[in-house]
Amino acid sequence: MPYPFNLRCLRIDLGSRTHRLYTLGEDLSRSFLGGRGIGVAFLNASPTIDPLDPAAPLVLAVGPLTGSRIPSAGRMTFTAFSPLTSTVCSSSAGGSLAVQMRKAGIDVIHITGRATSRLCVLVSDAEVRFEDAYLPDEMPLSAVFERLAPFGGSVAAAGSAAFMGCLYASIAVDSSFSSGRGGLGLVMASKNLRALAVRGSGSAHHKACNARIEEEARTDIIRLFDASPVIRGRSGIAAYGTSSLVDLIATRRMMPTANFRRTFFEGYRAFSGPAIRGRHPAVHYACHGCPIACKQKASREIPEYETLSHFGALNENDDLDSIIEANRVCNETGVDTISAGATIACLAEIRGTRFTGESLVDAVRSITGHGREAELLRAGSARLARELGMPGASMSVKSLELPAYDPRGAYGMALAYGTSTRGGCHLRAYPIAHEILRRPVATDRFSFSGKARIIKLAEDLNAVVDSIGACRFAFLAASLEEYARGFAAVTGLDMDTQDLLRVGDVVYTLERHINTLRGFRRADDILPERFYTEPGSGGPDVETPPIDRGAYEDALDRYYRIRGCNPDGTLRAERVEGMIPCTTR
Amino acid sequence: MHDQVRKYLRKLMAHGLIAHEADAQIYGLDDEIATNRDRVPAEVAALFRGLNINSLILARPEPRFWTVISSLAQEHADLIRPTDTESLTFIHDIPVVASFSRGEIIRALSRRKACIVRDVGLVTTGSVSLEQAFVAFSSVCFACFVKFFTDMLLGLSGIGGVPRPTTARMEQCADLLSQLEPTALRNTLSGRTPVGEAEILSAMDAAGKALLQASLVDSFFGNISFRDANLLYISQTGSSLDELPGHIDRATMDGSSCCEITSSSELSAHVKIYERTGHRAILHGHPRFSVIMSMAPGPLQFGQTRSMGDIPVVAGEVGAGSRGLVHTLPGAMQTHHAALVYGHGTFVSSETSFRDALDRLALIERTCFDECRDALRPPW
Repeated sequence: MPYPFNLRCLRIDLGSRTHRLYTLGEDLSRSFLGGRGIGVAFLNASPTIDPLDPAAPLVLAVGPLTGSRIPSAGRMTFTAFSPLTSTVCSSSAGGSLAVQMRKAGIDVIHITGRATSRLCVLVSDAEVRFEDAYLPDEMPLSAVFERLAPFGGSVAAAGSAAFMGCLYASIAVDSSFSSGRGGLGLVMASKNLRALAVRGSGSAHHKACNARIEEEARTDIIRLFDASPVIRGRSGIAAYGTSSLVDLIATRRMMPTANFRRTFFEGYRAFSGPAIRGRHPAVHYACHGCPIACKQKASREIPEYETLSHFGALNENDDLDSIIEANRVCNETGVDTISAGATIACLAEIRGTRFTGESLVDAVRSITGHGREAELLRAGSARLARELGMPGASMSVKSLELPAYDPRGAYGMALAYGTSTRGGCHLRAYPIAHEILRRPVATDRFSFSGKARIIKLAEDLNAVVDSIGACRFAFLAASLEEYARGFAAVTGLDMDTQDLLRVGDVVYTLERHINTLRGFRRADDILPERFYTEPGSGGPDVETPPIDRGAYEDALDRYYRIRGCNPDGTLRAERVEGMIPCTTR
Repeated sequence: MHDQVRKYLRKLMAHGLIAHEADAQIYGLDDEIATNRDRVPAEVAALFRGLNINSLILARPEPRFWTVISSLAQEHADLIRPTDTESLTFIHDIPVVASFSRGEIIRALSRRKACIVRDVGLVTTGSVSLEQAFVAFSSVCFACFVKFFTDMLLGLSGIGGVPRPTTARMEQCADLLSQLEPTALRNTLSGRTPVGEAEILSAMDAAGKALLQASLVDSFFGNISFRDANLLYISQTGSSLDELPGHIDRATMDGSSCCEITSSSELSAHVKIYERTGHRAILHGHPRFSVIMSMAPGPLQFGQTRSMGDIPVVAGEVGAGSRGLVHTLPGAMQTHHAALVYGHGTFVSSETSFRDALDRLALIERTCFDECRDALRPPW
């Protein structure tokens, strides 16, 4: 008996404090699967709306594999228009929110409207309660989670930074996870929604249509995890979390340093995986249903690689304790650590100073402070740099601050930063997998040869990954081949790898189309000038020259042809036809 | 992409996977298709349209491989399930397609990276680079070769429910074995212990090439390392042993740097072997008859050990998982300095250099070939 592939959607209007639970049509459900796919389908209903308009939606969606025995598939996605970039923005989050939604029988939560005062929305199965949030805006998120703990279930909350208008405010989930990028916390705050809690009384276990095949797919995936040095190796992410990347990225001479003015930081060993373990022995924990358990917690949360690198190298700071504390402050106030670290580094370059040690922590604290500089910091690096008369000091694409892989050290990454539909993001195509981690095979990181199609295919693949609720890290070992088999076994849908990739193509192309409706063009797919004019830091085995702008533009042209775009980056008319999805009402 | 096309055509020949360059069609796609052919046939263009890929190899394997593959494809209507652990881990199973039908091939390649087309050859694909298609091609050849002979031995012994082979099949097998007699190893590696990084890297490069030259490893399988005090030089994961320069990691014995995250899946096993033996060099190959003979007596459960001559055979999966060979192999290596991993391959270590390690690896393979031939010798 096939899984009834009709996603259940809870529509909440905060302005009227009303809700409605209904079933999405099977055509929509099958066309977009869940997670990020469903999110963008909903955004397409009002493609040019202002991100902070009360009618602009915030969509939470789980994937069809959540609750199944397929490993590392318990993530969910927040989707909205980004107030930082104005692009489409989906951001995946771990924790147990996805599984609580599944237990409550809800696949999608669609939130619009603006409450007249701060609200908490408590969803218990089909019952929805709107409660005034007696939670001061400045209350740390750990206290918010503590206050909501008696409700049980899982909680997503906006922090003080969001309520102060920080354009890169995150949404915190279950105290240790977050939907980090693009300022979706501010979207939540703009609706006066302090927290959303979900608990379900149903079974978390999603009974597969074909349990035998599900088990075979699971076994294949686990075997690949075990065989992968990136996952289960002595220095893999199961051992060190993503801090295992610090040594490698540094020695490849592509660790952004001093606001991307250099690509090597001599002090990187201070925050490498082994250094952290030596000083802060941590326990590992995981998202629901994940055997990798990459998250680490000691007395405080151990930061992820991006955070370590940006509060470390990008700010020329080799003080591990201050990095951990800066991360804690971000978690308590609800701030994206990548944008925070990059915005502070941008300010440091403009001011001709450095924020290290305690001064870095103070700078992070000042994001939720008062005064002109605090306001500038909350606006992100692009607006800050423009305001201070040095727009070239913002290392961002479409105003989203670049993460901790310097594009001069990986040309596929360079192209992917440009074409990413949510701005300068490493996760849309994640070419670091093949350019650095040799997965599934190694490619020449200093060449654009073949990269246009590789990036397009990877963008489609990752759109699928985000739509079925799987984790990117799983795909450093397994592939869609194994997950597609699991997907078909769980859902009973006759969809194979290629069918899923076609969904990924639709999701990604629709994201790009919506962005073009919002005014994005080729010029927005170009990297900051620094990367074309200044070399990185070479090393004994490697040179890191500037990227050849002509070669980049050629690769972009090829990408456009492959994606079905015109030379200005808009989609060709025949590509747009048929893209408009079925009704989301 | 043209560079990649030329490179992998050369490698198919160099690795003995095809008999003639004309037997292979190689295609790489960025915004246009690059190929070793004058034009792109309509049916290949259709495959690219129907599949989200950027590379494709369509080729008939070298005749001995093709004999084995064709034979298995006759027996198994839709699907061949490999017996060796590496293939089970990475390619799972191999679809068989009855004819060169675009729809059938697309259906098969929508599930797996490779398929067998009866009477035509293999079609393999990649979505990142031609290397994937090449690895898949080589993997199918290896998996089928190992399965063919393993099934034969198990069938003769009546183990595991494998059907007893027909006389015609046995004759075919004997004929193949007569063509596969290993030539004597010409070991030109230095027996001197390399000193300093430059010598170590050079010795590893030479050893990698020698392993492939002697057919003791296929395509991107196998790994190789050398210990120098706390430093451990080891081939990177997925590196081709005939292209090691630039693909060797410097790991540490004490794990004090995470740079090793790109090292071979078997790094942890290498570290433990060095800790237990005090040796300096390790070679790990997948010699075909060693893999076959490790499985010939029947299944070996994790934790069990048996011997083949004086060489221990242990069970364990690829990598460092809870049932990984890292838990079983180092103990076996401690006393014998060589061990077979069931359905996987051979590890050998040396106190001094790669020269004697290569000798041992080749000797074990020669012994396994002889045992296999003897076991399959008439009367049946």
